[in-house]
Amino acid sequence: MPTSASVLFCCPHLRLTLRLFNAFPFRFRSIRPLCASHASSFTSGDTAVYNSNSLDKGNSIAHKRHGGLEAFSSPTVENVAIDVNPPRGTRDFPPEEMRLRSWLFQNFREVSALFAFEEVDFPVLESEALFIRKAGEEISEQLYNFEDKGGRRVALRPELTPSLARLVIQKGKALPLPVKWFTIGQCWRYERTTRGRRREHYQWNMDIIGVQGVAAEAELIFSIVILFKRLGITSSDVGFKVSSRKVLQAVLQRYSIPEKLFGKVCIIIDKMDKIPKEEIEKELTMLGIPMEAINGLLQILSLKSVPELEEALGSDADAVDDLKDLFLLIEQYGCSNWIQFDASIVRGLAYYTGVVFEGFDRGGKLRAICGGGRYDQLLSKLGGEDLPACGFGFGDAVIFELLKERGLLPELGPKVDYIVLPLDPQLQGAAAMVASTLREKGRSVDLVLENKRLKWVFKHAERINASKLILVGDSEWQRGMVRVKNLCSREESDLPLHELE
Amino acid sequence: MPTSASVLFCCPHLRLTLRLFNAFPFRFRSIRPLCASHASSFTSGDTAVYNSNSLDKGNSIAHKRHGGLEAFSSPTVENVAIDVNPPRGTRDFPPEEMRLRSWLFQNFREVSALFAFEEVDFPVLESEALFIRKAGEEISEQLYNFEDKGGRRVALRPELTPSLARLVIQKGKALPLPVKWFTIGQCWRYERTTRGRRREHYQWNMDIIGVQGVAAEAELIFSIVILFKRLGITSSDVGFKVSSRKVLQAVLQRYSIPEKLFGKVCIIIDKMDKIPKEEIEKELTMLGIPMEAINGLLQILSLKSVPELEEALGSDADAVDDLKDLFLLIEQYGCSNWIQFDASIVRGLAYYTGVVFELLKERGLLPELGPKVDYIVLPLDPQLQGAAAMVASTLREKGRSVDLVLENKRLKWVFKHAERINASKLILVGDSEWQRGMVRVKNLCSREESDLPLHELE
Repeated sequence: MPTSASVLFCCPHLRLTLRLFNAFPFRFRSIRPLCASHASSFTSGDTAVYNSNSLDKGNSIAHKRHGGLEAFSSPTVENVAIDVNPPRGTRDFPPEEMRLRSWLFQNFREVSALFAFEEVDFPVLESEALFIRKAGEEISEQLYNFEDKGGRRVALRPELTPSLARLVIQKGKALPLPVKWFTIGQCWRYERTTRGRRREHYQWNMDIIGVQGVAAEAELIFSIVILFKRLGITSSDVGFKVSSRKVLQAVLQRYSIPEKLFGKVCIIIDKMDKIPKEEIEKELTMLGIPMEAINGLLQILSLKSVPELEEALGSDADAVDDLKDLFLLIEQYGCSNWIQFDASIVRGLAYYTGVVFEGFDRGGKLRAICGGGRYDQLLSKLGGEDLPACGFGFGDAVIFELLKERGLLPELGPKVDYIVLPLDPQLQGAAAMVASTLREKGRSVDLVLENKRLKWVFKHAERINASKLILVGDSEWQRGMVRVKNLCSREESDLPLHELE
Repeated sequence: MPTSASVLFCCPHLRLTLRLFNAFPFRFRSIRPLCASHASSFTSGDTAVYNSNSLDKGNSIAHKRHGGLEAFSSPTVENVAIDVNPPRGTRDFPPEEMRLRSWLFQNFREVSALFAFEEVDFPVLESEALFIRKAGEEISEQLYNFEDKGGRRVALRPELTPSLARLVIQKGKALPLPVKWFTIGQCWRYERTTRGRRREHYQWNMDIIGVQGVAAEAELIFSIVILFKRLGITSSDVGFKVSSRKVLQAVLQRYSIPEKLFGKVCIIIDKMDKIPKEEIEKELTMLGIPMEAINGLLQILSLKSVPELEEALGSDADAVDDLKDLFLLIEQYGCSNWIQFDASIVRGLAYYTGVVFELLKERGLLPELGPKVDYIVLPLDPQLQGAAAMVASTLREKGRSVDLVLENKRLKWVFKHAERINASKLILVGDSEWQRGMVRVKNLCSREESDLPLHELE
């Protein structure tokens, strides 16, 4: 995802500090320290006087003032420094970035619809308790929580699954199963870092509630494959590493490790590619896991195929059953070249209980593109009755990095059907009527709202990528006509209003 | 000027409090106070034992337990109550509500596109400083602000305009004018109330930056008219009351009231229909406004037409110019029956819950939006799950929406399910047909059936 771009024109510093008079309603006193054409000095009580004549028609800072009306100045103002950048770690979405985001989200929605999933949403703010798991997950350490004005502990959600689980429990028996829901929502984290890392991102989540078998996991993986294909990404670019939490469970059982340690073991193991092996061993030892078991764990995690796993765990192991079933289904889907078994895949959320998977970039440079798995026991943890459940999260950050790398970012620019220009201020109303007629027919129309020269209009038309230009001129209008100019072919003709389309 | 339309949904006040053991990692002890069929007793250390045989295939609470694998219990539990409801004043959007919301937002987007506005977005969290105006606005009193972990004062935005302004300033001279941007975003407030009022709502904002004349205001008003028309709302249902702040300015100037008081006067005046006239007068007096000026103000605010205003303020008054220009444009648009002058309109940037959905409900204009799926695909045998998946895949690559049945389900359930999700066709993947490369396709409306080869499906 393109990071927040603050336009640093004329200013080398990332932080453009502007001081505004904080008076109601919308008083603007703005300093452009280096490139102001209308800069006013910034002293308390100063009034910026702009009169219409001095306004540059092209790039005016619009300050609607006629006659002797002054800006709303006040001697008792407060000077507050406003940062023009969004808060640390967050992004603005100006039109270009917004188009990319909307394009991605539209793909998410269309794929979800192909799989007959229904869209849902929940508040971005939830009770903190929904996320407190005390398993040592990174997601818990970076929880964006705080106390609201009523003294309640709340948090900006770090993930979407607990909210989904909460809603499923809320609906109770009235909810027919299986439930197939998707959502696209913003998630937050708080980490004290100077590194300029993101504090928010958007996630597409797909979840299936109520299906016990791995056909559900297969369906989820396949939906991501379809999404990748739509974006132009192939199985040469990316793949899925698949394993199952039951592998670790089996090993822990073999060494009689208490199950209460399971979640914590998973979280430690998940850090395998981030911290040295000795660290991993140390943390496991601190949990009370004997060295024999640790070695057994690490050995299993290095297995590279399901047959090897079967040999290690035995044919009757649940992990083996699940994975064999899953790989068979994927093969029948025709997706085998997208999927591979990798026993080291654990995923860093404490609540996974079965199959886990993550999408990875074969180029090896990027972080995981998406991740998911089965979580059959989350609902009861939140006070409901358990239902089989699986789902995934797919973020908006890595995918854009991948698309950029592969040269697959779409060229999305603005697109407008018509510009309508009154050739005379008196014809503003007439031009508005022309615009209105076209809009009622579903055409997008940029109506020029001020007195502009044709030269500006042509430049503007190019900027907004307009197909046609309509000139509303006095003599034509008196005959009930307008001049229509095709901006591609350059053809022109006069047309009556009712023939416009 | 940004205009707002917010969404109001019915929200049943169902508050279920559940207690659970907050044990690591996954201990489940659940109480469904009112409708539990599998409720287990709630005592520490109790283990719920479900074995596969007792699972009901239709609506199973699946508890994957094979062999001796137990639920993850722990003797050192903590009891934490999780509320299944969203936080006070906020809403969940299950599928039905989400469809309505998406329908409304889609209309917002399409109208914005008709007017060649571009979509933008900003963080829902902003520096608190962006919103502190100290003019006594309701929006400031109810700011949802707090201190983040780094000690910074931040707020969940109560409105979208300051963020837009911030972005415009950020872009600086690189931004070609005029700017026509729209956004749909969630806004927040915090009021200590037991009344169950909303703390969040979504707002559609349209803004025009860089245009001096009232043609801009006219364009904005007209965009809302188009939106109303699309929703089936007419000028008999709704209208716009229009005035200008310059009216009040003119009056204050006449009585030589200092301009620094202007904002506060507006906020007080805006409360006109909420608090008694005596209160208004009192608050204005407390600002130091002499009674003569107050009377002058109140009198102007009661004017009902632009000619009356012209008489009161004079033809050269800016307020009069603006309004005459605006009404002329609106008339030329053909929208006069939507607009009326009303001098009492001041606008307080108070938090108001929009009435769009209430209005639609009243008029019977709420759309019937249900799910809609092209195909359900059902394997008649678990061995055919992969084959069924392939059929689903083929159809999806052709752009059809497909609900693939992922478990062993009886036909009776499938028909009921098809009705629920409003599927058009049902595809049965059966062994003998599949061996011939065929599937059974059933049209759920016409009830017609036929066998088709995979490549003929569309």
